Amino acid sequence: MTARAWLGAVAACAAATAAQALTIEYSLDRPKELLACDEQANRGARAEAAACYRRLVTASTDSRIKADAARAAGDVRGANGFFQAALKEYPEDPALRTRWGELFAATHQNNEAIKLFEEALELDGTYAPAKIGLAKVAAGRYEEKTGEWAKQVIDEKPDEALEAYLLLARAALEDGAIDAGDDALDEALELAEDHDRSPLEIYALKASVDLLRNTTNSPWTQRALALNAGYGDIYAIPAHFYVITRRYREAIALLQKAVDIEPDLYTAHAELGQNLLRENKVDEARPHLELAFRGDPFSAVNVNTLRLIDSFDNFVLTPHAAKPAAPGSNAANNPGVLLRLHKDETAVLEPYVLDLVDRTIQAYSKRYNFELKQPVIVELYPDHDDFAVRIAGLPGIGLLGVTFGYLVAMDSPTGRADSSFHWGTTLWHEMAHVFTLEATNHLVPRWFSEGVSVYEEWSTGPLKGRHIPLPVFAAMKEDKFLPVAELDRGFIRPEYEAQVIVSYMQAGLICEYIAGRFGQEGLARMLDQFRDGKDTAQAIQGALGISASDFDEGFAGYVDSQLGSVVAQLDVWQEKQKDLHETVQSENWQSVVGKAAEVIELFPDYVDEGSAYIAKARAHRELGETALATSTLLEYRKRGGYDPDALIALARTLGDAGRSDESLDVFKDVLMVAPLRAEVHRDYGDRLMSANRPREALVEFQAFLAMNPQDLADAHYRLAKSYVALEDKAKGREHLLYALEIAPHYREAQQLLLEIVR
Amino acid sequence: MSVRIAAAVLLVVGAAAPAHAELYYVIVGGLGGEAQYTEQFAKDTAALAAVARRTTAPNRVTLLQGEGATREAVVKSLESLRTKAKAADNLVVMLVGHGSYDGEAYKLNLAGPDIDGDELAKLLTAVPARSQLVVNATSASGAVLDKWAAEGRTLITATRSGFERNATRFAQHFAAALAAGSADINKNGAITAQEAFDYASRSVADSFEKDGALATEHPQLKGGAAGRFTVARLASAGPPEPAVTNPAVAALVAEREKLDEDIESLRARRESMATDVYLAELQKLLVQLAEVQGKIDAAQPRPAQ
Repeated sequence: MTARAWLGAVAACAAATAAQALTIEYSLDRPKELLACDEQANRGARAEAAACYRRLVTASTDSRIKADAARAAGDVRGANGFFQAALKEYPEDPALRTRWGELFAATHQNNEAIKLFEEALELDGTYAPAKIGLAKVAAGRYEEKTGEWAKQVIDEKPDEALEAYLLLARAALEDGAIDAGDDALDEALELAEDHDRSPLEIYALKASVDLLRNTTNSPWTQRALALNAGYGDIYAIPAHFYVITRRYREAIALLQKAVDIEPDLYTAHAELGQNLLRENKVDEARPHLELAFRGDPFSAVNVNTLRLIDSFDNFVLTPHAAKPAAPGSNAANNPGVLLRLHKDETAVLEPYVLDLVDRTIQAYSKRYNFELKQPVIVELYPDHDDFAVRIAGLPGIGLLGVTFGYLVAMDSPTGRADSSFHWGTTLWHEMAHVFTLEATNHLVPRWFSEGVSVYEEWSTGPLKGRHIPLPVFAAMKEDKFLPVAELDRGFIRPEYEAQVIVSYMQAGLICEYIAGRFGQEGLARMLDQFRDGKDTAQAIQGALGISASDFDEGFAGYVDSQLGSVVAQLDVWQEKQKDLHETVQSENWQSVVGKAAEVIELFPDYVDEGSAYIAKARAHRELGETALATSTLLEYRKRGGYDPDALIALARTLGDAGRSDESLDVFKDVLMVAPLRAEVHRDYGDRLMSANRPREALVEFQAFLAMNPQDLADAHYRLAKSYVALEDKAKGREHLLYALEIAPHYREAQQLLLEIVR
Repeated sequence: MSVRIAAAVLLVVGAAAPAHAELYYVIVGGLGGEAQYTEQFAKDTAALAAVARRTTAPNRVTLLQGEGATREAVVKSLESLRTKAKAADNLVVMLVGHGSYDGEAYKLNLAGPDIDGDELAKLLTAVPARSQLVVNATSASGAVLDKWAAEGRTLITATRSGFERNATRFAQHFAAALAAGSADINKNGAITAQEAFDYASRSVADSFEKDGALATEHPQLKGGAAGRFTVARLASAGPPEPAVTNPAVAALVAEREKLDEDIESLRARRESMATDVYLAELQKLLVQLAEVQGKIDAAQPRPAQ
């Protein structure tokens, strides 16, 4: 047992809030004095409850009761002080440490909370409220430990297990196990009745069950409001389940109701603000977030999100008008695009982002028989932490892009090293989510939406070929693919480190299998089934005419036929890879050529880090075998390799060899991974001009100029030439003047100016 | 004996001086110690030597490298310029290699005994050429920023202090600047110290950013004449304009110079003018300039390269 001082920890909090949202207390050892006040709070008599708690703060002689009462009255700082004092008086009381831990947890200081819960368990190894505290912290992180702690309480202290059942119920509902969740709630309800505890939260979760079963007017809602007309969580708790199933519009409607009846439910304001942002309703979001911050200044999510909104001042929001399809044409309607790009990047990136978005709209509208109904919003964040806050409220997330419906947010090319991040593919992937979400009113399960996105990357995206990371092969070798009906679990509650990426790839392969066996329309039919509210097994039966188990069998055979040989020889490949790279270090180029060829033969699709194609091409170059170096890199590119230095070298070599069209295609590929290398725009533009394509050259030279190159006179001159080639003499003249303003003796620019003005 | 690379000292005499001014280069390339530095410093000094020989007469280029780049050799070559160089001449010194700084004294690492910053400063000051460019591209070179500053001397260092001790990339980028058309901002076929510095420092910064590394060197420039000090001529520029002997051409050249002044004067007034008015006036002057240049070129075509 430690007599640790917690000075300053919770005292770091800001001033206590006057009003306090309802916290329902379940522990059976709660002092009866507090229970009397709780009863008033539970039925919505907030002023009476607050007065009751304040009386206890003043009058009680037990510092533990004072602490709890102060906390319930919203005086966080006061509560902390009383807890500190109480610890000196009652150092052996596990309930005290647990209650203090709950205060830390309520102020988002989970690490401190965990320590106190653990100390409580050192005093009493079966103290249920401490285990519940640990379970709640784990639940906030979607950890498996939630269930472990909850089940321990159910086994050891069944009478005290009300909150344990609530936690299990939430987790089950989050996993889509609605029946299991409902059963757990029935257990909780029985315990609430037996021990005269408030059923409000249970009713809210019961309403969530109904919502997940597509019943929106749940009788449980009215039951809760009859007990407490100001219980905002009756709407906010079900809204959470809309949020995690990406039904943000429905979540917004419920959260608005929550704050309408309980205006100081700060958690609901925070969620409402976040979800309004996901719908690009920035002005509507801000007041809710500001209110949430005032009510809960400890929340890093609120602070970060408000800072992010402030940072939008550094972005340019550019609307691009809708392009309806011409009657009789094969084109799809483009409902318009709104781009939010950083002001330092917009001039360079905008044409490429817009072109890619246009192409995805054309492709996906046809492939999935769905036309978008409103403009798409695309945001690119140069600062990865800003992107992380945009999507989760906290920095440090590992994703590259996220789609909320019509809004796509992703890292900008400057957010990551350009050899590791193919921004064009990420945008292609995210735009597929726009279609799968909106075509199904957001009812599509996570696995299928990801599967379509990955499959489209491979088959129609700017980077052709399957890209399957090595850990996925290891998982295949260990037979870790999940049955299709359970695949969502791999995304939501991963059980091993690589399971999320394994699930992505499995989903992509599944969609590839469906397209191959049942046609592209098989995928479109799956979307129809999901839109109609079917689960995975039902959708497979309805769209493809086979059972989920037959599907799994067929899919397993497909994977084996496609990738079985790679999986079988993976160890050998890895050994040869290692040997190859040692040979590269020794610069024995003839040997490198031979070894690289062997490595490629074992795993021809591998074009990621350390690819043998790059080593082989380098070896050929060192040996003066230019043609072989070129053909190696062409094969590398064909299989989806995108190292920008390799591609730039390839583009230049092809251009120098007079293979102009191929060179231009490769330059175009480079821009999908490294759009912010000025010299690429310049060289690509020069070659486009040589190929008599000045309109495309103009785009490149505009990008080149926007990147503020060292030689601005040269940049203006190039731009001027492309304008002149397009017969826009006015713009040509303007840029020639800018070039000559910097370098009045620039001969070529002088000559062109004289030609224009004469 | 030190196995570290001796500094490459490149002396380049600027061509911005009057017609009778000579341009002196001294280039020192020393031992690299480790193979990667030996190779890199050799490449850098070779590139600088090529630039020097293109810019001035070969007998005014001194190249010291490898085992030949000793303290004695450096002292001898700078002392010889005491008598050879005149006040009107230009001198450029470039140091490529490893430098060190112990908190008090900077040293240039050479084969054999090193040479310290104070001694180098005295040797440089003793050369009568009034217009000097000193480029210290070594590690820890920023230590000499204050001590080597002098009237008429433009000083460029690869680092901002003596405490940036990593081997530098600056020399490689500076050498590239002297050969790169894109460093020639005003397109006159010659690279000034300012142009070379701007190009090289940006390239150095870009190279660290591309590597995802924090920059361990921050080039510095001191002295007000960098924009007027021509370090090199570009190979692509061809030979310089021949000397004017024809009075008609002399008049055209005078007209060209007047137009240059008018353009400069107009640019100074840009902020106070509406853009379309400014551009219209600029165009008039530039067209006249282009026409005058055309007449000059027609009257005295440049000899073939």
